[in-house]
Amino acid sequence: MAYRSSFLLQIFANFLINTAEVLALFAMFYQFDSMGGWTLGEVALLHGMSMIAFSLGDMLTIGMDYVAPQIRSGEFDRVLTRPLSSWMNAVTSEINLRHLGQLIQGFLVLTFAFTQVNIDWSVTKVLMLIGAILTGVALFMALFTVEAIFSFWTVNGVEAINAFTYGGSDLAQFPMHVFGRTLRVLFIWIIPVAFVTYYPALYLLDKPDPLGMPGWFVLLGPVITAVFCGVVAWGWNQGIRHYRSTGS
Amino acid sequence: MRMYYELAKRSFQQQFAYRAATLAGLFTNSVFGVMLSSVYLALYWDKPENASVGGFTAEQAVTYTWIGQALIMPVIFWGWWLIIDTIRSGAVVMDMLKPMDYFRYWLSRDLGRGAAQVITRGIPTLIIGSILFDLVWPESWQRWVAFLISVPFAVTVSFCLRFMFNLWGFWLLDHRGISSLVILVTGVFSGHLLPINWYPPAIRDFINVLPFRSMMMTPVEIWLGQVSIARGLAMQVFWSAVMIGCCYLVLHFAERKVVVQGG
Amino acid sequence: MTMISVRDLRKTFPIKKHAGGFVGSLASLFRSEYEGEFEAVKGISFNIERGEMVGYIGPNGAGKSTTIKMLTGILVPTSGEATVAGMVPWETRKQLALKIGVVFGQRTQLWWDLALIESLELLKYMYRVPDDRFQHNLNTATELLGLEEFLRTPVRQLSLGQRMRGDLTAALLHDPEILYLDEPTIGLDIVAKAAIRDFLSELNRARQTTVLLTTHDLDDIEQLCPRIMVIDHGDVMYDGGLSDLKQRWGGRRQLIVDFASEPDVAISELTNGNLEVISIDGPRATIAFDRDSLSAPEVLSRAGAYGDIRDMSLQEPDIEDVIKRMYAGKIPAGV
Repeated sequence: MAYRSSFLLQIFANFLINTAEVLALFAMFYQFDSMGGWTLGEVALLHGMSMIAFSLGDMLTIGMDYVAPQIRSGEFDRVLTRPLSSWMNAVTSEINLRHLGQLIQGFLVLTFAFTQVNIDWSVTKVLMLIGAILTGVALFMALFTVEAIFSFWTVNGVEAINAFTYGGSDLAQFPMHVFGRTLRVLFIWIIPVAFVTYYPALYLLDKPDPLGMPGWFVLLGPVITAVFCGVVAWGWNQGIRHYRSTGS
Repeated sequence: MRMYYELAKRSFQQQFAYRAATLAGLFTNSVFGVMLSSVYLALYWDKPENASVGGFTAEQAVTYTWIGQALIMPVIFWGWWLIIDTIRSGAVVMDMLKPMDYFRYWLSRDLGRGAAQVITRGIPTLIIGSILFDLVWPESWQRWVAFLISVPFAVTVSFCLRFMFNLWGFWLLDHRGISSLVILVTGVFSGHLLPINWYPPAIRDFINVLPFRSMMMTPVEIWLGQVSIARGLAMQVFWSAVMIGCCYLVLHFAERKVVVQGG
Repeated sequence: MTMISVRDLRKTFPIKKHAGGFVGSLASLFRSEYEGEFEAVKGISFNIERGEMVGYIGPNGAGKSTTIKMLTGILVPTSGEATVAGMVPWETRKQLALKIGVVFGQRTQLWWDLALIESLELLKYMYRVPDDRFQHNLNTATELLGLEEFLRTPVRQLSLGQRMRGDLTAALLHDPEILYLDEPTIGLDIVAKAAIRDFLSELNRARQTTVLLTTHDLDDIEQLCPRIMVIDHGDVMYDGGLSDLKQRWGGRRQLIVDFASEPDVAISELTNGNLEVISIDGPRATIAFDRDSLSAPEVLSRAGAYGDIRDMSLQEPDIEDVIKRMYAGKIPAGV
């Protein structure tokens, strides 16, 4: 009983924290009519998709938060002795649904967005929405893994990765074309956050890409994400190898 | 007095030990600064040049963003639980045994920390911002000085808020609930999340009568010339005094609880 | 001159109740509820004179720390009176702080992130210690406790023994009249323990500092404290000399004898008035004996009659054991 109520409390707290983001969105559109030519409903669509993908990705990889302390305390050895892949072991060492609050909020924002924008629904559009969120979950899981990978080598400066995890999910909440070239290249081609929200949203809204990419470009999302995940998996294995050879 | 100065000095020096963390933090601040600046600029796309919305031109909004990023570490806009950690670990007992003023002890340490972070995080962030974007600078040297004076007051108000939240958390079984409240309150009410003028009038007027805008909005207004120096600083002094008074009140009750219940 | 005087000091604590359910835990964000109370100290009385070194002992949870917290002014008693250095501690905590030094073995008053010397300098300003006194006290401590090698090391990197020596120095910078020590040697190696004990004896001799020491270590008491007080369940059960206590309740040492093979069962016949064969476990026999009427070699030679002895070890009675026996009521408490 005590456990369950504390659990509900955490979700409530998580919901509260993320209220600020949503509040800021509405307040911006209270003063302004559009953001880079997009309406409140359209930007809310990006917000909702990003929040859902991020919270799911975060919840599924909570275990990654514990890799650094486990390495320091020596408990990581135990993770390696289990009969599963080291990554699965690390991930499953802790299950925590604390970001359920953000997930709920993501769904609320998405629902709000659907009431504001006209989407000409079709089977492919539904598949696109689901596919985009799944791509996003995979991408954020990989990003949280990156944070853990660094901790195999150093305890210093790991928080720079926050710029890509939290920064990536924040960035995905806004239309990609408002950002400068550097951020665009980074978040389209290297950490393909743009394929979690922006390109799928263009497709759902039947908008042409202001940046001039053809319609089929969105289909590259899973490919680039797969490449990114592959690199992360390679990095993870390097990290494990490093840990095994140095023990620290 | 000497002792509090020595405490602040040592907190100040200590901050320079974490070089890798400082660089990592600067990087993160900069990425967020660029991102938020781009978002704010996009809001002005369909406005005429130099249009002012809610008291901010596009350039001023970008400047606001970078001041916000620069103040993140010195002022601290989210949960900070060092005091509650000492209460939970029992280390607070050793602090209570010392012949010192408990509030001033922590405040002086926090001011020392803040001063160091103005140097390691604040100024470099603003320099990066000014390289990447066109920022608006204070129009006179008096405003520069006034801004520099306003930062320690911002830290003081922020510290008082954190101090009270820590002591409040001490009464509770679980401080996660208020920890999320802190983030919401400080983010919204300080003006760190969004310029306060952009909220609907009812919310804006409500926030404007609270002390928390001294943490961020008032320094920004002093910088941008949106408030007279005298008025801006007077507000900060007033709210610092009120907040310090509240801290002593809360401390009084907390001490009573400790001495009666043993913490 | 009486430094510490305690009359009928009592302290009870409320026991917190954990609210159930979601609504309950939401409510617990704003208030806590209480159910019942726990009596940690039950009306104790004693006097300690200037220059005395008193061992204050008892099992965990006996009320030792609570007493010390009241005598430092951190805790207000539920009822009763106390004066320390002429002051009522809980009414004059900050003034009293200038006259007392406190070392809690499990805690530190040093700052984790600062070098030891930096912490000591901060305390110098905090306690307004004049420069010459500071230098003198620091030099004395450096000499007797060997601080030199780690004076510039951050406290978080110090070993437990080093940290304890640092804490002891810190507690004495302002020449306190009274020193409270709570488990000052816990977890330390023999060398560190010896250094700290020598330092404390020297301090007491040179400055007439009054010391109240709580410990689990009988050797601490033995080497430092002519007088001890035993407390359990919030009551003072014994107040008097150490030798007296040992004679009455802690007089038995244990000799553990390992034979080459199982000893003759007749060994149990050794048991008489001042010797008892407690157990025989394979080749190992445990024999308890009265320290005043028998010597260890004597017991060993008697046991040798029952088998070929390979090895032996001697265990001194520990204070926990003494208190356990005392509490079990084997011998009536009180003097």
